[in-house]
Amino acid sequence: MLKNIDPQKISLKEWSRQFRLLDDSEIRRFKYYNNDEWGIYLSPPATFMVYGARELRKLKLDNSLAALRLWGFALNESERLFRARQSGKHIIATMGDLGTVPVIAMAFPDCIPFYPDCTWWTPFFNESTVLLDKASELGTPEASCFVRSTLAAFHKMAYFPKPDILFASTGASCDDYSCIMQMVEDMGFELNWLEIPFRRKKQDHFTDEKYARTPQGLDYPERFETYLINEYKHVWQRMQDLTNDGDPEKLGESIKKNNRLRRLVDQIKALTHGAKIAPFPALEMMVIEFGNLYGYADIDEWIDILEMVKSKIIDRVKSGNGVLDSDAIPLAWITPTADPLLLNIVEDLGGRVVATEYVINQALSEIEEDIDPFRALARSFMNASLIGSTEERIRHISAGVDSGRIAGVIITNMLGCSHCAMETRAIEKRLKNVPILAIDIPAPLGITEQIRTRIAAFIEMLK
Amino acid sequence: MQLIGYACSYIPVEILSATGLRPYRLLHGEISLSKRGEKVVRIDACPMIKSNLAYVLENQDRFAALVGSTGCDMSRRMFDILSEHIKIPVYVVNNPRTDKPEIYSDEIDWLVKQLEYFSQKKFTNEIIRDEIGKWERIRAALRAMDQKRAACPSLTSTTEFHNAMACYHTGSCENEVTFSENASEKARVYILGSAITYEANHILQMIESNLRIVGDFNCGLSRPLHIQIEEENIEGIKKAYYNQPPCLYKRPHQKYYEFLQSEITRLDCTGVIAWTLDYCDVHEFELQRIEKVLNLPLLRIRSDFSYQSNSQLRTRIEAFAEMLCSRT
Repeated sequence: MLKNIDPQKISLKEWSRQFRLLDDSEIRRFKYYNNDEWGIYLSPPATFMVYGARELRKLKLDNSLAALRLWGFALNESERLFRARQSGKHIIATMGDLGTVPVIAMAFPDCIPFYPDCTWWTPFFNESTVLLDKASELGTPEASCFVRSTLAAFHKMAYFPKPDILFASTGASCDDYSCIMQMVEDMGFELNWLEIPFRRKKQDHFTDEKYARTPQGLDYPERFETYLINEYKHVWQRMQDLTNDGDPEKLGESIKKNNRLRRLVDQIKALTHGAKIAPFPALEMMVIEFGNLYGYADIDEWIDILEMVKSKIIDRVKSGNGVLDSDAIPLAWITPTADPLLLNIVEDLGGRVVATEYVINQALSEIEEDIDPFRALARSFMNASLIGSTEERIRHISAGVDSGRIAGVIITNMLGCSHCAMETRAIEKRLKNVPILAIDIPAPLGITEQIRTRIAAFIEMLK
Repeated sequence: MQLIGYACSYIPVEILSATGLRPYRLLHGEISLSKRGEKVVRIDACPMIKSNLAYVLENQDRFAALVGSTGCDMSRRMFDILSEHIKIPVYVVNNPRTDKPEIYSDEIDWLVKQLEYFSQKKFTNEIIRDEIGKWERIRAALRAMDQKRAACPSLTSTTEFHNAMACYHTGSCENEVTFSENASEKARVYILGSAITYEANHILQMIESNLRIVGDFNCGLSRPLHIQIEEENIEGIKKAYYNQPPCLYKRPHQKYYEFLQSEITRLDCTGVIAWTLDYCDVHEFELQRIEKVLNLPLLRIRSDFSYQSNSQLRTRIEAFAEMLCSRT
């Protein structure tokens, strides 16, 4: 079923029509936590629109079965977390580090890590300001990152179950989220704070500081590894206390599993970004990249979904088919958009995303498997997007511009977000050989004709 | 004398001064400077950060080196931007947000090593002892002034105290601290929040035309005076700076609140002024909690350093003062 259809992006209505072509057996084949009784997640995307994700009716989604699985699984996460709680699993909230602490949590039996941070998309998918209004009521400033919706989600306790344990990473990170985590603690949640060191760039005028280099080529003072190792050992200890378990070999296995996911995503990105015609849409690709953080609370099923996505992309590349026109303008996207609709709009207007910097570099790079696992995690985290200089953050985008692979850059900002305020001009200065469009993401339902016109003019100019 | 610029209460002025340069705290905040800073950062950056950027870029020949810290995110990133624009050494210290004295200690050792190499000078025990002695003497004189400010009735204004502290922060404190006594029976208030910049003295004047500020927790005012170095060596510096009343960005923040509560009780304040700069997350996110925990009338003043709302602000301060008087 759905095998011989031409790739394209389709509306919810079209998806509902197409969904009827699926056999029941096909629908029952895919389930989370491998549970036959309540783990089925395949449904027409319109179901999630009815549940509250109203923006879906404006979005166009890839028409493959792989994409159907992807959306069904990603949008079903809230239900999955509550089911996990019901079935006696431990719910582990990991906040702020974006990609490393879950690898430790996954080494413990029946532990489900998740990122409350990801609630920042909810107001946009739901086309609702309920969470943002509640966050304001709780004391967050209006001009701050949309991640403030996380605070409201903790207050309402309806979007995810009450976590059994919370890890909160702060330090060389953005201020607004650090403040939000503090406010979560003030609500009565017990937080385990972790320190994120600043990746101090090597300078000619420094003396006597021993530097190490990550496999991805970023330099950092070697002793910072030790700080992170201590933090991760603390996480390990707290997880042992929670579960009365803790087999160090399992950490190695968790690293391997996460590496499998990271390699898979790397391959999918390389295939998609390198193909002559875009074989998969940018919106789905963003969902894929962010899955690296924690496998949407069921990493095994998520890996299986991505294997299917990869096969589909390979088929499309081989047959020379795709979801966009062959003359779509290759763009880099810096900082993820809180409003998914923007990715659709850019593609509809003739753009194509071929490189990204979504502030999660630490979750994209492979973790070394041949050294002490805690050290490997520390070295992996040292690749983080936001803990160092702007130059390091966009180095791969600069290389793409220099090679002629990227014709334009889109930066999406949030008003009042500390790194956006400080980095955007610096990025523009560094990437001065390529046209850049910087967009402030408006509040839910805020994408106007003016924004569309700006994007259209930008792409027209590049053509 | 050339300057060594710095931007955080956790950077020991004694170590900067041991280089032979004049420690100059980057505490500028003024509307035209802030606008000029927008050449290198977006409009929604903190107006003090924008002002400091413009100040350093326009006066770069006065600075020989810069020392920053990972305090607030924008401040840390300010040094990344400066290092792209100017050709002097820039050092950024990892100042942990969580309770990690070992990181702070390692980082101060690192800073000492870097500044010794930079100044081609060994920071001997004798040099460090002399620097501690020099800065402790200045702080002691300023503490005496602070006590007059805190006295009941308050004998000197925060407007005047701010000028004295500006000398400390700009490293121009060769002369003795002098001030006039000016007893006040106005309602006693505490000020907290974002930094009081060098150019923000007029705000203090405006507040003190109706109230008397008798205590504070803002960069730019009395924060360095809580630092008292007991052991006259690098270890003593580390202990004193690390254990100062914690900045609000430290996690968790209980100690900050404990300090505020004890100070407000000690100083017998009847109201609180919360001064925040636009986009200063660290303080803006906490205002509701501050109000709840302190349980005193609180006047919020948010500023981008522009002047157009001054008349409105004056009226708000007058109304706040009137309300405080009616309660006593």
